[in-house]
Amino acid sequence: MRSTDAITLTRFRASFADPHLLLEAVKRLKQEGYPIIDTYSPFPVHGMDEAIGLKPSRLPRACLAFGLLGLATALGVQIWTSAYDYPLIVGGKPLVSLPAFIPVSFELTVLFAGLGVVASLFVASGMRPKFKVPDLHPGVNDDRFVVAGEIQAGASFTVVQSLMASLGALETELLVEDKSQTDHSLLDREAKPLAFLLAAIPAVLVLAALPLLNRNYLKRNLAWDGGMMAPVAYQSFDPHPSLPGGQVLQTPPAGTVSRKGLVPLPYGPGKVEAERAGLELKNPFQPSQENFSRGKLVYDRSCAACHGLDGDNNSSVIVARGLLAPAILVAPVVRDMPDGRLFHVATFGGPQKMKGLGDLISRDDRWKVVLYIRELQRAAAPKPLPAPPPSTGATS
Amino acid sequence: MKPNQVFSVPSRDLTRPQFPTLAEIGEKFRLGAWTLSGLGLLMLGIGLATSPLHAWANVLMTAFNLTCVGLGGLFLLAIQSTTGARWSDPILKAHRAMPALLPIAGLMMLALWFGADTLYPWARPEAHTDHLLKGRLVWLNKPFFFGRILLFFALWILLGRRMVQRGKGAAVFILVFGVSFVLANFDWIMSLEPAWNSTIFAIYGFSGMFLQGIAIVTISAIVLRRVGLLPEISKAQNHDLGKLLFAFSCFWAYIWLSQFLLVWYANIPEETAPIRLMLNSKWTPFFYLNLVLNFGLPFVMLLQRKAKTNERVLMVACFTVLAGHWLDLYLMVLPPVLKGAAPGFGFSEAGGILLQFGVGHMACWPVFMKDVNPDQELPQAG
Repeated sequence: MRSTDAITLTRFRASFADPHLLLEAVKRLKQEGYPIIDTYSPFPVHGMDEAIGLKPSRLPRACLAFGLLGLATALGVQIWTSAYDYPLIVGGKPLVSLPAFIPVSFELTVLFAGLGVVASLFVASGMRPKFKVPDLHPGVNDDRFVVAGEIQAGASFTVVQSLMASLGALETELLVEDKSQTDHSLLDREAKPLAFLLAAIPAVLVLAALPLLNRNYLKRNLAWDGGMMAPVAYQSFDPHPSLPGGQVLQTPPAGTVSRKGLVPLPYGPGKVEAERAGLELKNPFQPSQENFSRGKLVYDRSCAACHGLDGDNNSSVIVARGLLAPAILVAPVVRDMPDGRLFHVATFGGPQKMKGLGDLISRDDRWKVVLYIRELQRAAAPKPLPAPPPSTGATS
Repeated sequence: MKPNQVFSVPSRDLTRPQFPTLAEIGEKFRLGAWTLSGLGLLMLGIGLATSPLHAWANVLMTAFNLTCVGLGGLFLLAIQSTTGARWSDPILKAHRAMPALLPIAGLMMLALWFGADTLYPWARPEAHTDHLLKGRLVWLNKPFFFGRILLFFALWILLGRRMVQRGKGAAVFILVFGVSFVLANFDWIMSLEPAWNSTIFAIYGFSGMFLQGIAIVTISAIVLRRVGLLPEISKAQNHDLGKLLFAFSCFWAYIWLSQFLLVWYANIPEETAPIRLMLNSKWTPFFYLNLVLNFGLPFVMLLQRKAKTNERVLMVACFTVLAGHWLDLYLMVLPPVLKGAAPGFGFSEAGGILLQFGVGHMACWPVFMKDVNPDQELPQAG
């Protein structure tokens, strides 16, 4: 209705009790040349779209567009998170493993298409709060089937009335139209601020997300929530109200046997303890080809970088670089130390820069390294030296 | 396909004196069906002489596919009946004709008695000492296996006849069908590789069967409308059939992915072996072609509303789906039978396909013809 008058009397509405009658009436009105405005019924009437002459809806296009948007969003988020932002191999699968992405992509496609098409419907048909359906008969939600049409110039209402009655209409009435209530546009004065507010939400969300998306790994970044970084579990020695003994850690069951290699070593770090170890400990391994080769392997891996392959610092990396000067293992000073002392140094570290390797090399392997160092010393000094001078303190 | 040639749309040529009567068309049709079946049997025979593996596998495929067509018709009929659907009334003729295939398919399944030890590892004597097969022989042994085939076909044929002729027992049929079709899939197809299990396998088989059933109903409806036998079919019916085809093409893909994804993700050695073969061998192009034919092409073709009401597009989509279902079955049956050898298309495959078309027409045509006056001159079709 594009009439400029506020009130026109050219519209009528006729109500029927049966969808078939309505369909017939619409066809007849079309035939007679009356423009149909719309029909209203409690449920969709088959063939009504064709009878009114509606063009096929354009909503499917919106549906396709929103579906593709959902697909692109799902694939984009999944590929970006799992292959670029935080690349992580899961289950030996490639970073971008499409089969795993399909369920989420499918769901988001459906979600976007569904919500998008409903939103498009609302926008296209101007549905919003306070929207008033024109020409609505009170019975169309129940048992009435209503057609609204226009009376052309020159035709009279009584002609329409008798035509409708002959087609089985229950009632036919002339409509008083109030122009101000039939504006279908969503973006009218009232709704404009609301629409802009709604449109601003995605922009605000994107702006808020930017610091999360731009990550600089050299500094502390904004995190969603630090909750998962702080353990909420009880600590072993915390008191506990309901556990036996009032403590989290429980006594092991009777008869529990400790695992091999976990027997505590009754020594601490430091020079005094090193000398005590030298007096008390004996190498439990005998010189044999097997023990030597194991010792050599461990020595070459863990010791040779600093002490050199032959224990004489000649092939030492850190000496070549001029960083430190480690003890020369084949020197008489070291040669005269007891096995237990060398073992202590290997475990807890030397008096100067050397760090202990007790938590990197197993106890047995440390003893075998000691055996191998003895072998190196024998190789470096083929002839037995004269009586050793008294030890002047540990160097490592 | 033959019926298209027989029923090529008559042009509106008024100089043409007369249209053939239904009886004449039926005669041509019967001749074509017998020729196709005979040729198919001959080629299967040649295949049996040259490579029995391929031949028996194709007998199984043909029998299973014909069963699928028959059951597809019955199942569609059953759901129309239980839901009280009205939209499908004009096309129910096609649904009613399809179950006529079941007896022939049953006979073909029973003929597998002679080829069982070629196809099924559990039917061979060495299965009794095989660690993986020993325990399964309680269920998978020849007498019980073929006994079940007899039972299933008897149930399907009896319940189907009751439904087609008297319109009763649709709900009972659905219940019986649900159990028996699952077991049939496990028995006939999945036991080709007894060490491989998939609990979703029967639903996968069902989705393919249903999709093919809809395609065949659609083809029949369009052909019969063009011939003039079903004048009451309108655009709305075509649209509905198109929607069903589209929806169940997606359903097939959904089930296909559900089976593939779990195997692919879990990576359990005994489960992955068949899929590994599919992804790293000469089978690979066919593996992807299967997806394209059953899902990709129909999806793209039928996405638009216009396409769903266009008979030509519908026909192309239906034949794509038919080809896709054949390939789907081929990929289910042949790889375990050939034990990893490359795929091949020979006399047996060609024979199987011809036989399917021939038997399909032979069994369905008389049912179509039953309630039609054979001397009736066909109206000019549009």
